[in-house]
Amino acid sequence: MTSILRAFTALLCVGFSATALAHNPMCECKEIPGEQIQCKGGFSDGSGAPGVTLDVIGYDETVLMPGKLGADSTLTFKKPSAEFYVLFDAGPGHVVEIDQADIQPQ
Amino acid sequence: MSKVAAAPSSPLRTFWLKWRFHLNLLLVLVPLGFMPRYFADAALFRGDTGIGERVAGDVQVGPWSLTLAEFRNEGPSPDPAGPMKFFNAALCAACADQVKATYLRIGKPRSLRAAGVIFFGTPYRMGAGLPVPARTPPDAELWITMEGWDGTMHQGSIPLSQASPATIAWLNKQGVKP
Repeated sequence: MTSILRAFTALLCVGFSATALAHNPMCECKEIPGEQIQCKGGFSDGSGAPGVTLDVIGYDETVLMPGKLGADSTLTFKKPSAEFYVLFDAGPGHVVEIDQADIQPQ
Repeated sequence: MSKVAAAPSSPLRTFWLKWRFHLNLLLVLVPLGFMPRYFADAALFRGDTGIGERVAGDVQVGPWSLTLAEFRNEGPSPDPAGPMKFFNAALCAACADQVKATYLRIGKPRSLRAAGVIFFGTPYRMGAGLPVPARTPPDAELWITMEGWDGTMHQGSIPLSQASPATIAWLNKQGVKP
């Protein structure tokens, strides 16, 4: 029975390998107490993104807060007073933009 | 004298015992049902049927242009990173060796850093998976950003309704979310 299950799992893995190969960047931000914002980055294959650049950029394209995700793939920063968006930048074409309007309030 | 008694058998069992090998042969026919889909997919992946299921048209991007096509003529497919719509493209013959990178984004990019998803593959057939947020307005535009080897950058756009009517239908079905 176990061997059948294993064979079936292997077959599933082969069947879905094309989907698993694609790993799109993902990023979520939410407000946390103390006028702060916490962002968590990662990839759609389930892997984390420690050390990946996450910049807070103003609407006028000035980088308000350059940063990198910590070992737990998160970054916490103080909410800027100016209008801003968050850019999770894992390389050219591997970016996620989160506008301030899309950040979940507390 | 043999002591083996003839076991009383049901008509169904008799039928099974008599025809089971012939019936199993019929199983060979099962894959035939999947063949048309298989060959259609194989032709699509190899590019025998063009760069995608539906060619949306040519988009002028500065001095360059590209032919944009929907990989599949259907709405975005689910993905852990949100609904994804796959587009294929081919650069114009003259610009194939001038363009370094091509990006795709819904709405005008704020900067080159945030130009959207990048196209992978050869200039003659490249693909990109575009995340489609459920709140995308149906009148949105697809913006294409091209970066040349000479450092120049050009942008062009095509209405999403022209690039992918299936995505517009999908968005309308989702309903506009705040």
